[in-house]
Amino acid sequence: MSKTVELRGVGVGSQGIVGNVWLLAMAGSPLEPQRATRELAGEAEALTTSIATTVSGLRGDAAANDSVSSDIMEALLVLVEDSELLELARPSLEQGWDGATALQNALDEFSQLMGEDEEFQSRVGDLMAIGREIGSVHRGETRSLDLPSEGQWVIVAKDLTPLETSKFGPSVVGVITEHGGPTSHTAIICRARNLPAVVGCHGALTLRHGSSVLLDPAGDRVVPGGSLELQTQSIMLAPLSDAPLITVRANIGSAEEGRDAAHTVAQGVGLFRTEVLYLNASDTPSLAEQQALYREVFLAAPRGKIIVRTIDAGSDKPVPFLPVAREENPALGVRGFRMASKFPEFAESQLRAIAGAVVETGRDVGVMAPMVSTVEEVRHFASLCRQAGITQVGIMVETPAIISVLPDLHGLVSFLSIGTNDLSQYLFAADRLHPELSSFNSPWQPGLFREIKRVVDAGEILGVPVGVCGESGANPLVAIVLAGLGIHSVSAASSAVNDVASALQGVTKETAQRCASAALAATSPEQAQGEVRAILEEL
Amino acid sequence: MTHSYTHTVVVTDPVGLHARPIGQIVSLVKAEGVEVTLRRPGGPDVSASSALRLLAMKVKTGEEIAVVVEALDIETATRVALEIDTYINQG
Repeated sequence: MSKTVELRGVGVGSQGIVGNVWLLAMAGSPLEPQRATRELAGEAEALTTSIATTVSGLRGDAAANDSVSSDIMEALLVLVEDSELLELARPSLEQGWDGATALQNALDEFSQLMGEDEEFQSRVGDLMAIGREIGSVHRGETRSLDLPSEGQWVIVAKDLTPLETSKFGPSVVGVITEHGGPTSHTAIICRARNLPAVVGCHGALTLRHGSSVLLDPAGDRVVPGGSLELQTQSIMLAPLSDAPLITVRANIGSAEEGRDAAHTVAQGVGLFRTEVLYLNASDTPSLAEQQALYREVFLAAPRGKIIVRTIDAGSDKPVPFLPVAREENPALGVRGFRMASKFPEFAESQLRAIAGAVVETGRDVGVMAPMVSTVEEVRHFASLCRQAGITQVGIMVETPAIISVLPDLHGLVSFLSIGTNDLSQYLFAADRLHPELSSFNSPWQPGLFREIKRVVDAGEILGVPVGVCGESGANPLVAIVLAGLGIHSVSAASSAVNDVASALQGVTKETAQRCASAALAATSPEQAQGEVRAILEEL
Repeated sequence: MTHSYTHTVVVTDPVGLHARPIGQIVSLVKAEGVEVTLRRPGGPDVSASSALRLLAMKVKTGEEIAVVVEALDIETATRVALEIDTYINQG
């Protein structure tokens, strides 16, 4: 028996799991060409029906998704529905090929016609996937995503779209993707659903459909045929104290998530993403409507401080009533606090609504601005907050430029919160959604730890607390390093809060500082992670 | 008898005329039951009921496109043409 080789990637979650591989056909190879079994007219008619059935099914699925994904889906469906596509398919049908084959040939031909058109080529994979979906329906094969409701399946794919993850039922126990990094959409969705995953896993598509695998997120690996005993033991730290070494809060985006967070040990909210409240509003909500939304969230949130982030929208995360032109580089465009200058009336109404809800509920609330990079912007934000009656003013630390000028923010801010996801992508100039750049965005990058240390030092000069609200804080071991670096609080998705808090109950300040020193001195993310694990395993 | 309204649009969207506005245009044309063609200056008419044909025009940023709408009344024709304009440049 040949020795199976384990696959490496980036783990999401800490619980290992054994399941059977379900290779997602959406990421798969073209359908096998087949000859038609009906005569021409019947086959063409059947193809028309298959297209209509599949399109209407996909349209229904898309309606359940966010508006951006469903708009993109709709654009692709309109292409597939076009009767011109049937004309392109006709020559293959006339040669006796079945509808699925003819459709695939038609899409290939159209794709060649489009040549190097960049925008089109970036979507051609999705279009081909829809073509395969129609082909499967046409041949009466099971739809790729009609997962069995029984069993324990580990979904394996090149990458997953929100449309696909939305179809996962209880039989899906884990996810492996070839693309994606620790802050990719797939990773964030899996973390939110408490679904173990290994993303950025090279060679994932070589796994055999149906074969058993051990998914070992704590070890950042997948072991074909492995059993649960082989999983990397998540380091069990016996509690040394009743309270975690530093404050652990929850990240939320709605009243519902606030209620979930209230069932964890979270001491308040470290990041309330307010844009979530506005994504489905087509018109600017009135001050009273906004205030009612904030009141509901504040009442639902776990006890403790609540840190609210003002709207973080942009051309990649559009809010319908705040239109922004399409941009070449949305991550470097008009987004975050830059939106406040573009839509000053909305910015003012948001702050007033928050201030009103604070008075109504009596909660302890701080408000921070996303993506600021100059002292000028911070001064502007602080004055907007003062005018609205907000006293606890902070900023997100997400750009390298703001780190350099932090000492100049004296008297302007009363807290800092590091958004490690965006800070990583701007520090390393590596798009956090780019499938091939995931290692740059590892929370273990020594370069990131050293920047965080600079922020902590600046916080001491300013005399203000520094928190971390990015995905870094959701990893229990990274949270220990952050505590050792002098971070005052971390926050994570509700599903990760208890794990992070219990890890932080199991270490002393001295241990955390040893971990931090090792991570700061490391010269690679692997070395940082390895040395921190070694220190904690000794305990 | 039908009324025809011609409206000229300069494509400012940095990606040109791409799949999303095209999807919106085709859906609108279907919903309104009007005849719409797009054409480049001096170029052939392309039916706006075919998403594939519109996409294959490969209209780039800065190009000028004539939108010709045939409808039963001039108000509808004008309204549809202007709506198409907003799709093309707001993607």
